[in-house]
Amino acid sequence: MAAAGLAVVSLAAGGCSPSGKGAAFPSRSIEIVSWATPGGPTDLLSRALAEAAPPHFEGRRVTVMTRQGGAGAAGMQYLQGREGDPHVLGVFTASGTVNMATGRIPFSPEDFTPILRIQIDPFLVAVRDDSPFHTLADLFEAAHARPGEVSVSGFGAASAHFLGFARLRAAAGDPDVRWIAYEGSADAVVAALGGHTDAAHTNFNIVREHLRAGTMRVLGAALPVEALPDTPSYAEQGYDLAPVHWRGVVGPPGLDPELRTELRARLMAAIEEPGFREYMERAALEYATMADADAFGAWMADEVATSRSMLRRLGILDE
Amino acid sequence: MSAFLDGLLTALQPGNLAALLAGSLLGVFAGAMPGLSSTVGLALVLPVTFALDPTPALLMMVSIYMAAEYGGSITAIAIGVPGSSPALATTFDGYAMTRRGEAGRALGISLFSSMSGGLLGTVVLVLALGPLSRAAIAFGPAEYFGLGVFGLSIVANLVGKDPFKGIVSALLGLLFFIVGLDVLTGAPRLTFGTNALMDGLGLVPMLIGFFAIAEALGAVTGRRRSAPPGGGIAGALPKARELFGLWRTILRGSAIGSLIGAIPGAGATIASIVAWNEERRVSKTPERFGTGVPAGIAAPEAANNSCVGAAMIPLLALGIPGSASAAVLLGGLTVQGVAPGPLLMTERSELVYALYAGFVVAVLLMLAVGRLGIPLWTRVVRLRPSILMPLVVAISLVGTFSLRGNAADAWAALFFGLVGFAMLRGGYPLAPAVLGLILGPMIETNYRRALSLSSGSHSIFLESPISLVLILLAAVSFAAPAVRSRLVSGRTRAPRPEPDTHDNEPRREEHE
Repeated sequence: MAAAGLAVVSLAAGGCSPSGKGAAFPSRSIEIVSWATPGGPTDLLSRALAEAAPPHFEGRRVTVMTRQGGAGAAGMQYLQGREGDPHVLGVFTASGTVNMATGRIPFSPEDFTPILRIQIDPFLVAVRDDSPFHTLADLFEAAHARPGEVSVSGFGAASAHFLGFARLRAAAGDPDVRWIAYEGSADAVVAALGGHTDAAHTNFNIVREHLRAGTMRVLGAALPVEALPDTPSYAEQGYDLAPVHWRGVVGPPGLDPELRTELRARLMAAIEEPGFREYMERAALEYATMADADAFGAWMADEVATSRSMLRRLGILDE
Repeated sequence: MSAFLDGLLTALQPGNLAALLAGSLLGVFAGAMPGLSSTVGLALVLPVTFALDPTPALLMMVSIYMAAEYGGSITAIAIGVPGSSPALATTFDGYAMTRRGEAGRALGISLFSSMSGGLLGTVVLVLALGPLSRAAIAFGPAEYFGLGVFGLSIVANLVGKDPFKGIVSALLGLLFFIVGLDVLTGAPRLTFGTNALMDGLGLVPMLIGFFAIAEALGAVTGRRRSAPPGGGIAGALPKARELFGLWRTILRGSAIGSLIGAIPGAGATIASIVAWNEERRVSKTPERFGTGVPAGIAAPEAANNSCVGAAMIPLLALGIPGSASAAVLLGGLTVQGVAPGPLLMTERSELVYALYAGFVVAVLLMLAVGRLGIPLWTRVVRLRPSILMPLVVAISLVGTFSLRGNAADAWAALFFGLVGFAMLRGGYPLAPAVLGLILGPMIETNYRRALSLSSGSHSIFLESPISLVLILLAAVSFAAPAVRSRLVSGRTRAPRPEPDTHDNEPRREEHE
């Protein structure tokens, strides 16, 4: 089956590869640089991609290379240094653009070539089953009535999760809800489960089993979640925004535009592989590939700008 | 019971058994290699598990996790470098025993205790999944703060002859932990504007620097002797009587490991140090701890292996990974379409029982693999320091680099090597600094988090019974050595400190 897939795709790829330009792409194995925590959602995406991609890269090996450190900067620096090389890719996420906005990492979207946004992971606000809150309005009204006494736990400070919630809070008229930062999303959920905080701001896949078991409930999700037909989205509750966590593939700077288009086509085929589809389903993630690579680039730039303006509004960033 | 037997039959199928054996071999290796750990071993096989069925994939992963906790003690005992951080406490008495020429005995005690701890941790996992998972979520910021302070109070027992130098060492560790991004505000601290310090100074570079590089520098400059005097009886294993005589120590160590291991974020390193300290506390001859007593090896090794089963409790029951290794395991489960959480036990009970049985088989394979390796390790111990130490440093630096693929970590290890060397020359103990680096973040973050939740009121630490008890224990533990030495010097005629009658220090007479 793998062999058949390889033959078909080789034909397809042959059709769109730049012809008569010396060495054909790919001329060696493909590296995916991973700067994420091993076993975490971003690392898993890199690995699932490495599993699914070889048939679409003429059977070349696709390896995940770990380069962690400096809030991702170590891996990004490596990727940035491979200018024009289509054999080196990286998985970029909402955390990356927030870190650009805060200046934690010395890069901007222009330092990379956006290729394909793959998935989104909408944020949501969840509470323990016995919570008095049933809607987002309940939570925010309580915070208006008792300023500083309502707490929401979530991953990180000045992080993608933090800004996702900060935007929601701004849309609700800036009630004084206390953000309690945790080292990870799962830790933040434990805090809410244990009754230490009033709610957790997290992603669907982290609380999925608790929702099925009835030990937790969702007050609202940034976007409608298929598996949660009864949960109204932020927009449906009157908050006109949809912050999401997202992950996508970028290449080094200075990629030839034709190669970029070709890479996008090959990766698009790879993420349609049954194995990859299965991974997406099991991890409870949604495909969100956008129209083309330029749209993804614009999205990244917009994410940096939105984060920056929110950070300024909160006084975390100067000016 | 029949469900468990079905699980056992599943785990013993040839393919699954092969996965378990492969996991044991890789786990012992990853644990023993300084720099590598169970987390790295698990991350290495994560891509392999994509191609496997759920059962062998998970069995291989639990087997790695289990075996790595023993593997860490091999290098801790043989060369005084903890192969992974949970083996830190094992160096205290394990390496001391090796320097006396009894490496085989130390490794035997470690292996037996690791096996017993692994099995007891599995029993706890099977019997107490529900209650312990509820206890785990009861741990909030105030409770974590209490645990951190209690852990840090152990410094009082690690300071050595000069309490002042021990406290300086601990403060140095607390200073090093500050480097990096502040979890609660996201602001960089003490990074001197460099991105490389953003993730902070890691525990692994510190352990490598302190225990491998500083030691090697000492050997090179002839200031410290790194190898035992002559080969002697290095290969002799402990007698069965000695091992079984350690049963109280092993039970205590496993109980501590199972409790602390089940608390997300606490982990095997803290559990093993607490177990070592607790054993020292109940001993009749606490002053002998650190000089190579069997209980000083058995307690931390039983504790860190019992943590493996316990770490599965929040993972399986709540879907919450309690350790870095458990986080990789969760990734493996996700890939296999197994969603841990409150419904796992009812919906996938056959897999859970196969996992339980897999733990038991993994422990036994670890015993076999570990036993076969002992002659090899005792031969390593006999190498001349001038050959052994450069090798150790080279391997450690490679291990440190490969942990995150980041050269900055190797530089950090060299930095800690120099700091450690300077501390050793000045007579400053190293262990308090390590404890400071491990516990500093837990104490600081949870202190601020708790105050944030209580609107600044410190009563939050006293209102929680768990936190209150832990803080009181910390006060007792911190004051105990000083009080004891005061009492002893006050009654100079008394031949030894008042014995704790409820326990006996296990069979020291055999090696005296």
